Amino acid sequence: MNDFIQLLVSGILLGGVYALCALGLNLIFGVAKVVNFAHGEFLMLGMYAGYWLMRGTGINPYYGAPLVGAAFFVLGLLFYWCLMRFTIYKPEMTQVFATLGLGIALQNLALLLWGGDYRTVQVMPAGAESVEFLGITVSANRLVAFCFAMSILAAVVLFLRLTFLGRAIEAISQDISAARLMGIDPGRIFLLTFGLGIGLTGIAGAVLVPSFYAFPSVGTFFVLVAFVVVVLGGLASVPGTVIGGLVLGVMESFTGFFSPDLKEATHFVLLILLLALRPHGLFGVKGAEKEALK
Amino acid sequence: MTLRYLLLHRSDAFWTLLLVAAVLLGALVPSNDYYLNLMVLTLLYAGLASAWNIVGGMAGQFSLGHTAFVGIGAYTSTVLLNYAGISPWLGMLVGAAFSMLLAVVIAFPTFRMRGVFFAMATLAFSETVRILLIYSRKFVDLPYGLSIDFQPGLARMVFEDRASYVWLAGGYLALVLAAAFVLSRSFMGFYLRAIRDNEDAAEATGVPVRRYKLLALLLSAAFSSIGGTLMAQYVMYIEPGTVFTVALSVDLALMSILGGVGTLAGPVLGAAIALPFREFLVEAFGDAASGTHLVVYGLLLIVIVVLLPQGLLGGARSLRERIAARGRRSAGAQPKTGEQ
Repeated sequence: MNDFIQLLVSGILLGGVYALCALGLNLIFGVAKVVNFAHGEFLMLGMYAGYWLMRGTGINPYYGAPLVGAAFFVLGLLFYWCLMRFTIYKPEMTQVFATLGLGIALQNLALLLWGGDYRTVQVMPAGAESVEFLGITVSANRLVAFCFAMSILAAVVLFLRLTFLGRAIEAISQDISAARLMGIDPGRIFLLTFGLGIGLTGIAGAVLVPSFYAFPSVGTFFVLVAFVVVVLGGLASVPGTVIGGLVLGVMESFTGFFSPDLKEATHFVLLILLLALRPHGLFGVKGAEKEALK
Repeated sequence: MTLRYLLLHRSDAFWTLLLVAAVLLGALVPSNDYYLNLMVLTLLYAGLASAWNIVGGMAGQFSLGHTAFVGIGAYTSTVLLNYAGISPWLGMLVGAAFSMLLAVVIAFPTFRMRGVFFAMATLAFSETVRILLIYSRKFVDLPYGLSIDFQPGLARMVFEDRASYVWLAGGYLALVLAAAFVLSRSFMGFYLRAIRDNEDAAEATGVPVRRYKLLALLLSAAFSSIGGTLMAQYVMYIEPGTVFTVALSVDLALMSILGGVGTLAGPVLGAAIALPFREFLVEAFGDAASGTHLVVYGLLLIVIVVLLPQGLLGGARSLRERIAARGRRSAGAQPKTGEQ
């Protein structure tokens, strides 16, 4: 029983982090209908940003996360302005291969700049790496990352619901031509969404680096996780992303307990089953998956 | 008669034959190992890209999981050769059969998806196959990588001189192209094009969409698998990290896109440009640091798909049309303007 709760708790913590990883992907997908295959590489860059921030200035990535977020916001603007805006009304495969190409370039750029070493930072003081509560042990880093994830997710939901800009984003994601008739400029909203999406991805990366190793190809693992979370929780749905992340985290925690080697395979099988059976996800808007096909 | 048919019906087939002939004629001339190696790889990748093109181009199903078929072909024949002494000529057929079996399994869940979702699902499928293969090493005593002993012999499909491999890979490419040609001219080719252009309309018109998509995938899988066997026989060392990488799937799709998706000559042209170009990049930047050539490669991939989404052949066609249109316009405009 105790094992069960332990697994459940660590699964939930992991799931929160996964949800944070997938949020940027889902935001961009929901609004601009672009599946960003370079998402994992942006996450990887975020991890390195957190790492170098700590190494360079001594700022703990947890405190430095807003800084990384701001830098990645700009990176996201550039990403849209320099590349994605040329693909936005093109066939979807243009987007797939443009983002795949960017992913390859970024991954190897990281390899070129920082080598293939596995890097991580020690932020928790010695002896405080794990927290024990009612007989359940959790990693302090995961706990902090989870709190980060939940507060950021809540902030994004509030932003989308309450602010004018957020509602404009929602409007574009629901019906682009109607939104345009209401005087919303889709180009601007896309630009902003890419900035926000990549900014959140940068934060996610920075928050991850104390508990996961950063290395150039780490993105390939996370991008598939992010796909699973997005498809599981629902396309274009922020609350769905949270649920999707939690479900995946708990599932991984349990399969990891019984057969660690098959942990990744379960992700993929889940992704395929979901895409086949319920492509709009558990909470997504039905038909959102067809929307992306225009 | 046949030649006339080829020439008359579409310039596409003509260009393909010309390209293949040029490459194969090239094989006779140099005895330089470097060029021969490049040629073998180009022919092999051209064959693999053409196999991908059957389902990716003609039927419009952008698979990102073809590395699974290539890997299965490479592994099946090599395991059979190393542990049972079975000739790769036979092994490649067994591998093709396995790949077709996997294709059937893949077809069921993925054929309901379209576009990006199909690409994502096939990518996940190939990763699953890779993980299961690595996982299976727990139960069977299989090393991480497999190497083929260098014992030349026709039955073992191992040759002493590289020129023989040129013929082998060239024959493979010719086989795939012949199949693709017959396919594109048959009613099935028209069905596939109909599916590619508008699946709902094709379904409504009475095209058995699923059956023909499956047939295309089966053919594509079988040919990719055979290509995998040939690759294993040529490189003589395989491991999951080389024959089961997403990068290989991306390469095959990229080569088709570069040349022109859905055409016969496109994948061949794409491979003939992309592969030597990458070798050049490796040579130019290989010493600088690991990864540099791939940075350039990735950036070029972006430039190509953004600027030439229809590939070189498509780009050339639209250029030709534009010139023709301008010619018509100026021809029509001259009498009106009168004297000049």
